[in-house]
Amino acid sequence: MPDNIYLPQLARVASIKEEVAGERSIKTFRVEPVDGELFEHQCGQCAMLSIFGRGESMISIASSPLIREYKQFSIMRVGRVSSAFHELEVGDVVGIRGPYGNNFPIDDWRGKNLIFIGGGCGLAPIWPVITTAVAQRDNFKNITVFYGGRSPRDIMYRAELDKLRDAADVHLSVDKAEEGWDSYCGFVPANVMDKAPSPSNAIAITCGPPIMIKFVIQNLRQIGFTDEQIYTTIENKMKCGVGKCGRCNVGKDYVCVKGPVYSWAELKDLPEEY
Amino acid sequence: MEKILDKKQIDGWIAALTDWEIHAPVLEDGIWAYQPVSGTVRLDHPNTKQSPKEFAFPQREIFFSFEQIKGEAPRLTQVLPKTPHYAVFGVRPCDGRGVPRMDKVFTDHVEDPYYNARRKNVAYVGLACNKPPSPNCFCLSVGGSPVSTDGLDVQLTDMGDRYFVKAVTETGKTMMAAASSLFAEPSAADKKQLKQIHADAVAYPQRKINDPDGAPAKLEASFDSPLWEEMARACIGCGICTFLCPTCHCFDINDEVQNKAPLKGQRVRTWDNCQFPDFTMHSSGHNPRENTAARLRQRVNHKFQYFHKNFGMHQCTGCGRCVSECPVGIDIVTVVNKVTENAG
Repeated sequence: MPDNIYLPQLARVASIKEEVAGERSIKTFRVEPVDGELFEHQCGQCAMLSIFGRGESMISIASSPLIREYKQFSIMRVGRVSSAFHELEVGDVVGIRGPYGNNFPIDDWRGKNLIFIGGGCGLAPIWPVITTAVAQRDNFKNITVFYGGRSPRDIMYRAELDKLRDAADVHLSVDKAEEGWDSYCGFVPANVMDKAPSPSNAIAITCGPPIMIKFVIQNLRQIGFTDEQIYTTIENKMKCGVGKCGRCNVGKDYVCVKGPVYSWAELKDLPEEY
Repeated sequence: MEKILDKKQIDGWIAALTDWEIHAPVLEDGIWAYQPVSGTVRLDHPNTKQSPKEFAFPQREIFFSFEQIKGEAPRLTQVLPKTPHYAVFGVRPCDGRGVPRMDKVFTDHVEDPYYNARRKNVAYVGLACNKPPSPNCFCLSVGGSPVSTDGLDVQLTDMGDRYFVKAVTETGKTMMAAASSLFAEPSAADKKQLKQIHADAVAYPQRKINDPDGAPAKLEASFDSPLWEEMARACIGCGICTFLCPTCHCFDINDEVQNKAPLKGQRVRTWDNCQFPDFTMHSSGHNPRENTAARLRQRVNHKFQYFHKNFGMHQCTGCGRCVSECPVGIDIVTVVNKVTENAG
């Protein structure tokens, strides 16, 4: 941590890719340090990104910790700061501070089958785990990725997901049937139920809209996954990132410090204030 | 170090504290507020309207300024506060006990450089409460006392025509040493009188939280209690309870822009408030604490459950401001008592 926890480092936008168009569009940004190096991070951690004059926002880091040259963020246009991000051009300079929060215990998962289940923008927070696991392919058994969007146009990381098929079983879905779509039609939890991955020696990692997470967990439990085998991430509004500004707590813990990664065993007993 | 100071000599003591900027409660337009004073200090206030937390945690703090000419990288200039040494006189024991609680928040996990820069320059000269200054005082219920020295550097006790002065910290000793000729050694009679005043102060009836030790577990068990909705019904979300509180620390961070092109502005911290709906509202519109019941529950749980679990003490010092100043009569003593009495 730097001396001044609130002072961001400057980072230049190296690339911008439009993932999803429309009203709640998603763009992926890669940022590089203006000077020196950016901080190191772990899978699942977040960073406070800012555009000077507009403000700060907590965004999960979507690139693998193994990549040191840049950090990737996929940002949906919803609020003041995220909208300002969508107006950026390559070469613009933003502020970045972090890393914040805990991480997925990927080192504890060696030798296991990993099942990732994402929906919508929720692929971004688990993308660093997926890509790190693939980069360390020999450390893990089967890798399976479920991912769904409302329509084919809402599928983010499309090219990357296609490339992933060499190393993982990829099951894509869209909510409603559409011409030209030859994968699963239906909600993500239903797709999981349909394929029914084995809970034996497996860890399931899920992230997406709260309602999706709820039913994914319900279905995983039905397939036979224990609470300890299921991991997810939660988000809350954050300002400081260091457990002081007081708003992101769930019970006694601040999500920016103790989260965003929780096993269902930990999360199920906490008040549902997220 | 224990001394006696004739009340007539307090102005002389203050005059000798040349390295310090003296602040004390001043009555203006019917409101007691800490203000810079020179010459005369009269410590005859009940308690101040606002707590003295602003000395280390001001309502508005500039983190850094930024400037950016289009096409160039922004230039950031860190603005760390450079404050004089403040000597804050007349701090009541409840507010003194607020200080170590704020210290916990701003130095636990990672240090807050702005808080630290201010805090190291503040000395608190407390005034014991010979009797409760407010009908809503309840310091005894939350581990405090009208004669507590927690968080203070010096403790004064009013003994009629003189103060009994006790140095609590090294800083306190230094302050007393600045005018050592004004202080006298306490006699046996002085010590006896102090003991009697303190004993009377502690015996004076106060409002009472019935089961403060059981509160953390009972509040945890009462998260889904219908009482929250019932007790928060009148709440208008004004937030006065937290702004006046000596331990409420929640804040917001925003960018203020003076000029758009070339961009010129600053990132600023301001006090924020868990009783405001947008405090926790996600940009999607989803709000984890979507009504006044959830927000009252948060305030009470933060003070009597969460903080206690994290730091082993209640985050309430019993000053009673939130009770006295609430425009709709929400009363934290009653709320805690009701919830804990009804906990299963």
